[in-house]
Amino acid sequence: MTAIKTENLTKNFGSLCAVNELTISADKETFGLLGPNGSGKTTTVLMLTTLLSPTKGQAWICGYDTKKEPDKVRNSLSYVPQDMAIDTNLTGRENMMIFAKLYGISRPKDRVDELLAVMELSDRADDLAKTYSGGMRRRLELAEALVHEPEVIFLDEPTLGLDVGARKKIWEHIHALNRKGMTIFVTTHYMDEADRFCDRVGIINHGAIVALGKPSDLKSHLMKDVISVTIEGEYHPIHDENLIFLGQSQNEISFTVENGREALALLADALTRAGNKVKSMALREPTLDDVFLQSIGRHDEPAGFEEWKYRMMLRRR
Amino acid sequence: MEIPYDAPEEMMKGVITYIERDFIRWIRYRIGVISSLVLPAAWLLFVGLALPVQFTGNYLDFITPGILVMTILTAGISSGSLLMFDKMLGFLNKFLAMPVPRESILISKILFITLRGILQTTIILILATLIGASILNPLQYALIYLILFLFGVFIAAFSTTVALYLDDHDSFAAFTSMVTMPLFFTSSALMPYEVMPSWLRAIAHLNPLSYAIDAIRELGMDTIPIGPIIILALFAAIIVIISGYVFRKITI
Repeated sequence: MTAIKTENLTKNFGSLCAVNELTISADKETFGLLGPNGSGKTTTVLMLTTLLSPTKGQAWICGYDTKKEPDKVRNSLSYVPQDMAIDTNLTGRENMMIFAKLYGISRPKDRVDELLAVMELSDRADDLAKTYSGGMRRRLELAEALVHEPEVIFLDEPTLGLDVGARKKIWEHIHALNRKGMTIFVTTHYMDEADRFCDRVGIINHGAIVALGKPSDLKSHLMKDVISVTIEGEYHPIHDENLIFLGQSQNEISFTVENGREALALLADALTRAGNKVKSMALREPTLDDVFLQSIGRHDEPAGFEEWKYRMMLRRR
Repeated sequence: MEIPYDAPEEMMKGVITYIERDFIRWIRYRIGVISSLVLPAAWLLFVGLALPVQFTGNYLDFITPGILVMTILTAGISSGSLLMFDKMLGFLNKFLAMPVPRESILISKILFITLRGILQTTIILILATLIGASILNPLQYALIYLILFLFGVFIAAFSTTVALYLDDHDSFAAFTSMVTMPLFFTSSALMPYEVMPSWLRAIAHLNPLSYAIDAIRELGMDTIPIGPIIILALFAAIIVIISGYVFRKITI
């Protein structure tokens, strides 16, 4: 039974198409859904976790239809939203007990102890969660999500706002869960993390999958070398059959070429002739970032900003 | 494999666990516990004892029902913010993605707020008795609690429904402060209908607060207010049904 499967999954909000005919599947792997802000990542996760009903199409979790058998779907999965929702005035253990009881676990105390140990929280379990660091809070959320031994776990931006060490630890735990046979569906902004830790990734833009596969395959689809150029002012496009324009992110533009060393000088020349002011150039191997840029083209920050989220953010710091 | 599934039992478990969570959060938030008692206690002491009124013998006996209902009102009207914060901080999405029946979230909020309000009124009731309110018989006390419970459910469900519609906490705070005091002053809490100006009397007769207050006063006069209790129960039931409908519409 495939753990996650969707067929033409579509969600419209009025005239806006948030997710467009999405067909993906994932099984016993770590699947990363990547995409710029507002590309439909969270909407996809909400539909898969029965929190939003699709406009069109279907989705199955462990073979259960999200629309027809939502209870069984919810029994098979766990969802950790990106908000870091833990009760800070409760201890770690109390937070866990609430979840264990909600899931109706038969011996909640033992299960909670076991999971706190797995997530390396045992020694702090009886401290109020407000004294926890960001990484510990995330691990507590992971522990909560594991209470009923789900087959599929959805993580929305699991490492957002964490420092490097904490991120690494979270990914180690995710990896360990995956090794035990759990299917992990994760959305993230961090390409380097997706590259290292996801078995397969899907890049989503304007609600549609634009690239899908193993990170290594996606990268090898690009040519051998990548040249990134920092320019000053606006980019004036150049055309050369030996170069493929990847995309632009702020004032950095990238190209792929067969032979980077030779192309460097030619490229610099061509750019200057087209009226660009080149500040620096770098030659490197392709990364998932390049795949991402190529798939989504220009990286624009979408308009629209949820003010209360910003205010909450300020209040919580 | 079909898992034996007992919906009412699952629902009860969910409701109890959610109440437990809100309860622990409430008692940890000590200043909130104290502040919720200060206002009604101040009314009781300063207005109940100090106001020179001529229209009734024991003004404390007259005003205590009003203060009890006000305590439930102020406790209940803020109940929506519990659900609202769960929604804003991401808890609601987590809970909705669980197999526990979703309605248990809504029921737990309404029940928790009502029970919390009743805990507070108990303290006010003890305080009122200590400073000179008449002592009633057990049946009368039981019926007072029944009336307060029905009224609490009514207000908590009303507030929760409003919170489901509004999407930020500031507008909700504006709503509660707009509603609470006008409701209290236009009820029969402070004076009997006979001494009210006629316009106020008309409003007071329509005010749901007056039903609860009058019912408790009737109890004090040794009659059993079956009519008002039925009306309150009806009010509460209707609002709970509306609230459940709105909740289902928003969460699915």
